[in-house]
Amino acid sequence: MLKLNHIYKWVKSGGRRIFLLNDLSLNVEQGEFLSIMGPSGSGKSTLLNVIAMLDDFDEGEYYFEDEAIHNLKSKKRTDIFNQNIGFIFQAYHLLDDLTVYENIETPLLYKKVKSSERKALVADILDRFNIVGKKDLFPHQLSGGQQQLVGIARALIIKPKLILADEPTGNLNSKQSDEIMQLFKELNQEGVTIIQASHSESNAAYGSRIINLLDGSVQKS
Amino acid sequence: MIKNYFKIAWRSLWKEKTFTFLNVFGLSVAFGAAILLSIYSLFELSFNKFHENADNIFQVYHTEYTPKGPEAGIANPVPFASALKEEVPGVEKITRFSSGGVLVSIGENQVHLQSAFVDPEFFAIFTFPVLKGDENPVSGKSEVALTEKVAKTLFGNETALGNSLNIFIDGQEVPFTVTSIIKDLPVESNIEFDIALNFTSQNEHAYGRNVGRWDNSNHEVYMQLVEGISPTQFENSTRDFSNLHYANDISNAKRDGAQPGKEGQYIQQRLLSVKNLNFAEIGNGEITVNRTYPYLILGIAFLILFIASVNFINMNIAKSSQRLREIGMRKTLGAGRAQLFFQFWGESILVFIGAISLGLLLAKLLMEPFQTLFNTRASFENVISFWSIFSFISAVALITFIAGGYPALLLSKLGTLKALKGKINLNGGNRLRNTLIVIQFSIAILLISGTLVLWNQLQFMRNKDLGFNKEQVISFPLNGKKDDFRTMQLLRNELQNKPEIINISASNNILGIGKDHSTTSSIIGFEHQGRVVKTNILMVDYEYPETVDLELINGRSFDASRPSDTLSVIINEAMARELNEKEILSSNIAIDDSLQYTIIGVVKDYNFQSIDKEIEPLTIFLKPKWNLRYGYVKVASQNLNNSFNEVKLAWNKIEPNAEFLGSFLDENINRTLEKERNMTTMITSGSVIAIILSCVGLFAISLLVVSQRRKEIGIRKIVGASVGKITVMLTSDFLKLVGIAFVIATPIAWYFSDEWLKNYPYRMELNIWIFLFAGILAIGFAIFTISFRTIKAAMQNPVKSLRAE
Repeated sequence: MLKLNHIYKWVKSGGRRIFLLNDLSLNVEQGEFLSIMGPSGSGKSTLLNVIAMLDDFDEGEYYFEDEAIHNLKSKKRTDIFNQNIGFIFQAYHLLDDLTVYENIETPLLYKKVKSSERKALVADILDRFNIVGKKDLFPHQLSGGQQQLVGIARALIIKPKLILADEPTGNLNSKQSDEIMQLFKELNQEGVTIIQASHSESNAAYGSRIINLLDGSVQKS
Repeated sequence: MIKNYFKIAWRSLWKEKTFTFLNVFGLSVAFGAAILLSIYSLFELSFNKFHENADNIFQVYHTEYTPKGPEAGIANPVPFASALKEEVPGVEKITRFSSGGVLVSIGENQVHLQSAFVDPEFFAIFTFPVLKGDENPVSGKSEVALTEKVAKTLFGNETALGNSLNIFIDGQEVPFTVTSIIKDLPVESNIEFDIALNFTSQNEHAYGRNVGRWDNSNHEVYMQLVEGISPTQFENSTRDFSNLHYANDISNAKRDGAQPGKEGQYIQQRLLSVKNLNFAEIGNGEITVNRTYPYLILGIAFLILFIASVNFINMNIAKSSQRLREIGMRKTLGAGRAQLFFQFWGESILVFIGAISLGLLLAKLLMEPFQTLFNTRASFENVISFWSIFSFISAVALITFIAGGYPALLLSKLGTLKALKGKINLNGGNRLRNTLIVIQFSIAILLISGTLVLWNQLQFMRNKDLGFNKEQVISFPLNGKKDDFRTMQLLRNELQNKPEIINISASNNILGIGKDHSTTSSIIGFEHQGRVVKTNILMVDYEYPETVDLELINGRSFDASRPSDTLSVIINEAMARELNEKEILSSNIAIDDSLQYTIIGVVKDYNFQSIDKEIEPLTIFLKPKWNLRYGYVKVASQNLNNSFNEVKLAWNKIEPNAEFLGSFLDENINRTLEKERNMTTMITSGSVIAIILSCVGLFAISLLVVSQRRKEIGIRKIVGASVGKITVMLTSDFLKLVGIAFVIATPIAWYFSDEWLKNYPYRMELNIWIFLFAGILAIGFAIFTISFRTIKAAMQNPVKSLRAE
């Protein structure tokens, strides 16, 4: 599904390069559930951002479903991202001023989906996540686990092929985090490719494959 | 999608109630003020444009090159108009125009009406449509035309058309017939009258004795130029005409050493477009058109809007850091740059629409006080036109586009990751913010200085010693039926033996502007020792110099016991200099060829004309039986009101049907300063609004800065900073900006004040204190505004602010 070849990313500090990603190569197949582990500063988030095309890299090749991302203009990249990838954050990043329903609806609005279709899609996903009763609440009225649930629902609404999750359970207690991981597993079984970054061994274990990152390079696969 | 935008916009505006309120408040006030000021200025600019032929209508004036330099004049002799039409090609239509007042009586009732004596072509040139009656008004000598409103006040519900009325001319009641009713004159007209009469119906003094004479000019002339001839072409082709008819004046000018104009002419006829009539200023022999004042007002409107828009931009940019996460979030959810731009811009548009509606409402509500305060008849109805609405909408659209669009553009351009991490390069934003604050306060300080200078100059002129007694003298027009001489006699009888009445006299001109709002000036030229001398002339009754307290510096005043004094004159110092005689008191002047007048006294120069003019030569004649149109009474300095009523009572006894229009001379002087007063009020209100809006902006920015620096304040307090020190730290950043603004604004303010003051021969001295005061005022307001928030922040318990992080 996606292929990274010898990716380098660095920042300059006092004339020296500090490598964030150092000769990183990675292959992810359709239907995989990949867990990326590693200590703070090892480059997990940077890697996810590069995969999400939110961040540039300085050297190397990136193919997403045979598209050479490194040769594309940023507008085209954004298009590919918007069509294929759902992103889930540690800090949920829900829009405070919107209700649960509206938060989930927003990506569809940006994709200019018709109103009737929008209603059906949102209703479906609310149903599936068992949050129909909470659809008119605002994010601050929900618990952390529920907020993350909304965040996942929002990421799923565009039916992405790939879900990127950056420490999705980092702000949750263990019970909540198990539930989320269970959900990921179910999604994966339905055919969605998932890449998650995580600190915790137990969460990483839900994945079908684990890689370890240290100083911007893959340690073992 | 649109609905969604508005929903989000509404919620985020609601969440930030303080800022939304400050924004809407500032913008509404600014829009309201700007709308009112623009209406005023557009109204001024629209003057005389309603005439259908406005492009081709001109006032004829001339430049006369005298030994003292070029002088412009609008008065023409009686045969001038018809001669010009006959002899110079290009005159389509021409009319003489003499305005003034007439006393009209219908049965027992008397009213004073503003009159215009015109030739019949007047109504073909100007667009004053006839509603009823003769389509060619005042073609006959005994015909009059009334405006609709006046017809109604005179005749009530009775039809005015065909009715007769009497007008006092040369001491007699002359019957006239109303033959036309014309539509009420638009307020944006410089030509004003209630009643129009045939030019030849004027009194003997104005018309009869001047028929065929080229040496006495007493009325204005307006003409319509033939289509296709340019004003310059026409002016050039009048040269032979002027040389022929003014041969005498021209040879005198040559003899006395006058320098001709660059065309080689000693008298040059010129044309002034009727569209420029409202902005005409006489300068250096030519009438120049000066639209500075309306544009200045428009400029102030613009500055106020600018300040409010700057507030809006500053607040939005400063607040954007709180919305960074949302921006990043939306980007990861698939929002394009354009979509984000429209979202933020939509919010601004919402605020602007609200503010403009409130501003319009405010302007509508304040219209009446505005009209009274600025003494204007400008209103929405007067200026509404396709173009004014179109420009209003485009201006609003442009402001919304820039003020709302700039922050929106800035926000939508942010990179996704940067926005998500909440990192934004605020340094660039701060520089822009600081620049804008400096500009804002520069404008405010500029306007405050302007206000102070205007105000000081106004006080200066009000308090200036004008050379006569303005506190104790009452003047009033002799507007009754009776002969002026008789009226004065009766008044003297009535008021003598009253202890509070000191002196009574009369003259044929007013000092300042009286309640009848009329001013005249009469200038005469005569030969004196082989050269032409020009002087203003004034006819007075006995005791005039004593009544108005003129200071005699040489010789004596008129004396009732010497009959020969009717052939004596008193002159002012300027005239004495002009005559340049060694023994001024024994000299004679030959004003009339047959009569020699002896100079018996010289009075100290006094401002017999308006204060913005230098004192010209003046000769005072003793003519108690002349048409002396104004009475003067000097009263004791105590109990002025009582004395005023005494005079009024006496007047009402003598002329029960004529209204008493008396006023003290200092009121008259105040009336002459109306332009300055208006300008002072206008700029004062402009600067008040400017400083309020600037402070609103500063307040909002200080709110934001304090909330951004909360943690820093907490840490500083924990390491031992005092409340005072923190307040000073927070305040001084802003004060620096106001200080820079002061440095920028003061030279500009100084330059413009100086230029403006040059218009006044009597002016205050500019000094640095005025500008320092303006600066201190601005800084004071700024400190007051900022300290609201900073002191509170500095006093807060540091534990609290640190916990919030």
